[in-house]
Amino acid sequence: MKKTLFSFIMLALILVVSACGSSSEDQASEDTQDESSESTEDTRVIEHEMGETEITGQPEKVVALEFSFVDNLASLGVSPVGIADDDDSERIIEPIREKIGDYTSVGTRKQPSLEVISSLQPDLIIADMKRHKDIYDQLSDIAPTIILPSLAADYEGIISSFETVSKAMGMEEKGEEVLADHKAKMEELRAQVPEDEERTVLPAVVADSGYFAHNMESYTGSLLESIGLKNAIQSGDERYNKINLEQVVEFNPDVMFHMVAGDQTVVDEWENNELYQDISAVENGEVHEVDRNMWSRFRGLISSEKILEDAINYLYEE
Amino acid sequence: MRLKKMHPVAIMTSLSILVLVGAFLSIGVGAVWIPPGAIFNYFAGVEAGGDGYIIENFRLPRIIMSLLVGTGLGISGAILQGIIRNPLASPDVIGITKGAGFAAAAVIILFPSLPVIGLPIAAFIGAGLVTIGLYIFAFKRGVQPATLALVGIALGAICQAGIQFLTVKFPLETNAALVWLTGSLWGKDWTDVWLLLPWIVIVVPVTLFLAPKLDVLSLGDDVAEGLGEPVRKARLLLLIIAVILAGASVAVVGTLGFVGLIAPHIARQLVGNKHIYLLPVSALTGTLLLMVADNLGRGLFPPTEVPAGIFTAVIGAPYFLFLLRKMQKS
Amino acid sequence: MQHISEQSSLFKYKWILTFFCGIFVLIASFIASLSIGAYAIPFADVFKLLVSPDDGKAASIIHTIRLPRAIVGMIVGACLAIAGGIMQAITNNPLASPQVFGVNAGASLMVVAGVVLFPGLGSSTLVYFAFLGAAVGGAIVYSLSSTGEGMTPVKLALAGITVHLFLSSLIEGIVLFHETSTEDVLFWLAGGIDGRTWADVRLMIPWSLTGLIGALFLGKGLTILGLGDDVARGLGQRIGWIRASSAILVILLAGISVAVAGPIGFIGLIIPNIVRKLMGSDYRVVLPVSAVFGAALLTISDVLSRFISFPAESPVGIVTALLGAPFFLYLASRGGRAA
Repeated sequence: MKKTLFSFIMLALILVVSACGSSSEDQASEDTQDESSESTEDTRVIEHEMGETEITGQPEKVVALEFSFVDNLASLGVSPVGIADDDDSERIIEPIREKIGDYTSVGTRKQPSLEVISSLQPDLIIADMKRHKDIYDQLSDIAPTIILPSLAADYEGIISSFETVSKAMGMEEKGEEVLADHKAKMEELRAQVPEDEERTVLPAVVADSGYFAHNMESYTGSLLESIGLKNAIQSGDERYNKINLEQVVEFNPDVMFHMVAGDQTVVDEWENNELYQDISAVENGEVHEVDRNMWSRFRGLISSEKILEDAINYLYEE
Repeated sequence: MRLKKMHPVAIMTSLSILVLVGAFLSIGVGAVWIPPGAIFNYFAGVEAGGDGYIIENFRLPRIIMSLLVGTGLGISGAILQGIIRNPLASPDVIGITKGAGFAAAAVIILFPSLPVIGLPIAAFIGAGLVTIGLYIFAFKRGVQPATLALVGIALGAICQAGIQFLTVKFPLETNAALVWLTGSLWGKDWTDVWLLLPWIVIVVPVTLFLAPKLDVLSLGDDVAEGLGEPVRKARLLLLIIAVILAGASVAVVGTLGFVGLIAPHIARQLVGNKHIYLLPVSALTGTLLLMVADNLGRGLFPPTEVPAGIFTAVIGAPYFLFLLRKMQKS
Repeated sequence: MQHISEQSSLFKYKWILTFFCGIFVLIASFIASLSIGAYAIPFADVFKLLVSPDDGKAASIIHTIRLPRAIVGMIVGACLAIAGGIMQAITNNPLASPQVFGVNAGASLMVVAGVVLFPGLGSSTLVYFAFLGAAVGGAIVYSLSSTGEGMTPVKLALAGITVHLFLSSLIEGIVLFHETSTEDVLFWLAGGIDGRTWADVRLMIPWSLTGLIGALFLGKGLTILGLGDDVARGLGQRIGWIRASSAILVILLAGISVAVAGPIGFIGLIIPNIVRKLMGSDYRVVLPVSAVFGAALLTISDVLSRFISFPAESPVGIVTALLGAPFFLYLASRGGRAA
């Protein structure tokens, strides 16, 4: 049947197509049989954004398609075999790079290479809701896949993603321990912030093309809020906003954390302007340049602790 | 026209062979290189392990997709250039792909929880809405080819403005939309193949039956009417077919540009203006173009995937300049 | 155009009236643009602070942020409208405009390439990249669309949009390879004037002033050119000279706009068409009135753009596209004949 339809288009290609078409069905059914026969012991069902996924045993080869999940795995003491690192290992922050050792890059987070992922023969794939929803079926066919929020998540969302990851890894107890440690650490950090702290903070990515402010609902913003550092932007529908000098002046933050992207940025120009000099943060010398990978791209437990350590260091121990 | 020495059928055969060779190369090329031996093993039915999985689930669907999409866009472009009687007409330019793009961006951005299948449906509806717009603004006023093209361009501009508005208003949701808007064969699997296949397989043979009508139409309205051809009806029918082919292709792979413009040109250089040859050859050249673009996208900077839409522009632009020189000389 | 002399008294009256209406709208939108923003400054205060600034924040915001931005907006609007008017005159084609002619896209491709390949370049050097790109983009579209039996609206539009799409894809490719940030792509494809400074104003003034004055001198020649080449030649006009200087002016005007503000579309298309509809095709009048109207439209669009995702900034090019694309449809549905 397929063959007759195809012959309308081109005689030559049919053979190839029909050959693979039929064999693909065979193989697919074999695959599912394999999986069902294996699932005898220690199988758990993980609920995630795209439904439920069955995972058996403790996954050994894990592929992480967002940096959050690399952080989560590193916190659990697991080294992922494949990471979507935008083909730039520098993007993985130092403390985590040390922990995980060697891995294979699977391309960009936007369009990770499915071929490389499958060649790694993973047991578990962790992917992001915003970026990878559309390829969930393909990923699931390669290995059990869970889809969690990262790109669009705030700090709370990052914590709950971590809990799901540790369940999926069959390391719930270890996960609870890590999380307890993390929470203790966060408490400790919170304790360093005085009760009467009233300064407002503004984390922002500064680039040549503009000043992109992270508001109170963004990951970095909500993280800083969780230890009592109020974000200067408490409004707006979007978590990341391109704003100009006038708006920075209007929000008048007392502390600014600049995640610098590129050699030249808009702030270089602003520095010549009186208005910029009058912003509370600038007047008080509270403008701090921080690492963009750590502060914005990573969104995990280890990076959260590091960000707050950074912040507290800048704010109270100079 | 230039290569008239060769019979069109001979040209089609050689192009088909080229497509086959290209397909074979495409199986090997990518972030993971697969040696010819493993490819032969796979087709001989020998267990090929991980390579087999990659061939079967990623390479073959992408190759078939370049065949289907290249055919759809190539023929669609050839038809549009025929009915608008201008060699620069293409589904990108007269708003069809932009309509699909606007609908898709709206769905991705405004209804993120819609199931994945909603996207191609919405994109197809978007292409359809642009056609209705074309009908209202162009056909009601006597369906001059010039009006048709201009209205298409204007509708495309409106959709483009809408896309820009959405992407700026909702920057966080834009990521997923941008992947779609550049157009690529990344992440395409057999589901997508089965989704697109029926449209191409049913509509393409119909276009071959209509090829003589296109020949008549390209003689100009007066001559065509003199030959007893109901010009308006024929033009509307062909337009709808062009929209179906381009709309279905774009719905599945995103707003992939320039294939519908370039492929018919190359085809015309090879076999001249007779549509019974021009249409199938456009399909073949479209397939080749897309296959090359996709291979470059996969193989040039592994494991980074570069959207095929960018390479169709990179390959297309120099050809376009070459074309320009030719047109100036003649 | 005989009717110029016939109707001259009535005509003079009408054009003065229209001109002052335009000036009035321009001033109103200019004040709105100084007043509206994240930091609200009442209309009443704007004028006072403009003439006699005090040490306050409001005065600083007006003088260092909003004023240069508003002036850049007016200059860009005027430049684009005049460029569009000149193009429509020499091609005798109502669809001609910097965007449709590939001039905008060519210039921004060269600017993006300059920024990426030679990261140290200052904006005063990038201007020359923009001029080069504008010239190349325009030349490609011109030669593509003027083959065969002359340049019809449909040929121009098809060639222009195709070249525009090609160049935009190349821009997208360059930006994608250089930095994966999506905002950059959007900016370079839409165009905006937020965050422009006095330095940009200073950069623009010599070029745009040259362009504006040149356009005024060219008005008479363009009007006579509209009567057809033979008539124009009979009236002693040097056609080749008019065409060449028109091309140079367009490159200057559109190039400087793109270098500073990116490829803002549709101003050059809409404004000259509306102005011609109001006052006929005497380009001695059409060009200056277009400049005023273009400046006003871009200033209004800039004010509107602040509301798209307040308090964040959106590129003004989006507003001009949302306003301009339906107008394009209106022109198109008339078969590209003059409105």
